[in-house]
Amino acid sequence: MKKRVRLEEISFARSGDKGDICSAGLIAKTSRAYKTMVDEVTPEKIKRHFGSMVKGSVELYPMPRVECLHVVLRNALGGGATKTLRYDQTGKAMGQAILRMEVEVEEDVLTEARQTMERIYHKYGKAWG
Amino acid sequence: MRGKMKKIRVGAGSAFWGDMLEPAVELVEKGEIDYIGFDHLAELTLSILQRVRAKDPTKGYIPDIIPWMKAILPPAWEKGCKVITNAGGANPEQAAEEVIKIARDLGMKGMKIGVVTGDDVFPKLNELCDKGMKFPNLDTGEEDLDRIKDRIVAANAYTGSDSVIDALKQGAHVVIAGRISDNALYVAPVMYEFDWDFTEPFVDKIASAITTGHIIECAEGCTGGMSNIWQAVPEPWKIGFPIAEFYENGETIISKAPDTGGLICEWTIKEHLVYEVLDPRNYIMPDGVADFTSVKLKEMGKNRVKVSQAKGKSRPDQLKVCIGFKDGFIGEAQIFFPWPDALEKAKRAANIVKERFDMINLEAEDVRFDFLGVNAILGETVPIKDLDYNEVGLRVAARAQSFEEANKVRREITHLWTISSVGAHMGVPSKPRPVISLWPTLIPRDEVTPEFVMKEV
Repeated sequence: MKKRVRLEEISFARSGDKGDICSAGLIAKTSRAYKTMVDEVTPEKIKRHFGSMVKGSVELYPMPRVECLHVVLRNALGGGATKTLRYDQTGKAMGQAILRMEVEVEEDVLTEARQTMERIYHKYGKAWG
Repeated sequence: MRGKMKKIRVGAGSAFWGDMLEPAVELVEKGEIDYIGFDHLAELTLSILQRVRAKDPTKGYIPDIIPWMKAILPPAWEKGCKVITNAGGANPEQAAEEVIKIARDLGMKGMKIGVVTGDDVFPKLNELCDKGMKFPNLDTGEEDLDRIKDRIVAANAYTGSDSVIDALKQGAHVVIAGRISDNALYVAPVMYEFDWDFTEPFVDKIASAITTGHIIECAEGCTGGMSNIWQAVPEPWKIGFPIAEFYENGETIISKAPDTGGLICEWTIKEHLVYEVLDPRNYIMPDGVADFTSVKLKEMGKNRVKVSQAKGKSRPDQLKVCIGFKDGFIGEAQIFFPWPDALEKAKRAANIVKERFDMINLEAEDVRFDFLGVNAILGETVPIKDLDYNEVGLRVAARAQSFEEANKVRREITHLWTISSVGAHMGVPSKPRPVISLWPTLIPRDEVTPEFVMKEV
């Protein structure tokens, strides 16, 4: 059984800028989440998700050894950090924006991914909240 | 004389101009490191520093270098830890003079300071253009500089490890550079100590050093700063900066000083491996090209992660150049509206500002309206929900070619105080800021000649 959920359920993200390009690494929460992410996330979907915020192409690069899917968004920051009128000048929130996209995930993959934060707290301790 | 180390411990002392000093001092005092690197330069920084130098030829370096070196040099000199920094910015020679004064005052007689220059290609840009060389904009595809040529304020090449290695070979204790790439701050000491050169047998090893350099170069960026798992990160106020322990086979262990805050684990290292990367199969640096898809990460215990198996390619024939040019002004202001109907009030205010801009004929290249607390950073990816907000901010920004036009934003937002709705409140609006736009391009390596001179305290 598949469920429609936000990408945040199965992935972390970190994004930043290089000129007018935004780069965003999607970091899968489990190995199976990585496979799901590679199937579910497409350049077309990301492009549609951002609408006029991303004017150029969207490229995806799978990184299977570290289970990350790397996203490159071109002409995506309103001209680049020094010239853009955006509040998020360097695209730091763009990764989080990607995590709001909806994806179809098998229920057991989802359950396992949802346990990742607990595993992280168990392993490294919980410092806050 | 070349080093003979079988392993080398390198610390990352800063991620940007404005970073914290204490974790860097702690690294030198408690980290048992052989080298510490300091990156203070972002893409825009050289343009800022060139303008400072144009007004005062004795400035143009990162001013932080003075308090930083006052704090770093005593423990570094005592422990034999070498310092490599790009805080020379647009004036490495003068930065070195300042550091020499500090070292002299601290009684560090015999300290050798290598000054690396040659990254500044602005002086020869015209000459190269006259020779018919084109500098296309890598971001926009625009073919040549003609349109912006008379507005350029800085043009600096991202240089590699070469001159830093030369300085280390001649015994430098401190190396002060301009725009060497952040990455080279970490690749240079490794190549020097292990006696690597740029020939084929060392390509993968250099790729390893580039990979680890990339992971640590934003200091706290890999030790739990900016993390998705921030709730698991202890004591960020005393976050530890990273230490990379390099081995001759190309493997590295990333750790941090004992009794510091922050967290190093597979997640925090992955987070930085993917940070500000274009094609991860080809992470192009002046010293080589690393393939991040070949890299393996493994936790080796608490706050220790091993990075191994990086593959790469030889260094490129071209270097990246960042050209900065004057490109008008940005006016920006914000005002907050309280409950009840906070969002409606903010929308009404935006409408008022638009009408005012029409009435006074604002000549702007671009105008933007955001609702702070609603859609200011997630933009079009989120719906504007009609909720019972406690408060909502309206932010207006415009870019114009003149200061006067950009300043209209400040004036009109100020008017909202009195002509919009009840309870509106704003902080102190700031004056328009000048815009330096960036023009990333490439230059043949042969046209850039990094050099170094040695000075002694």
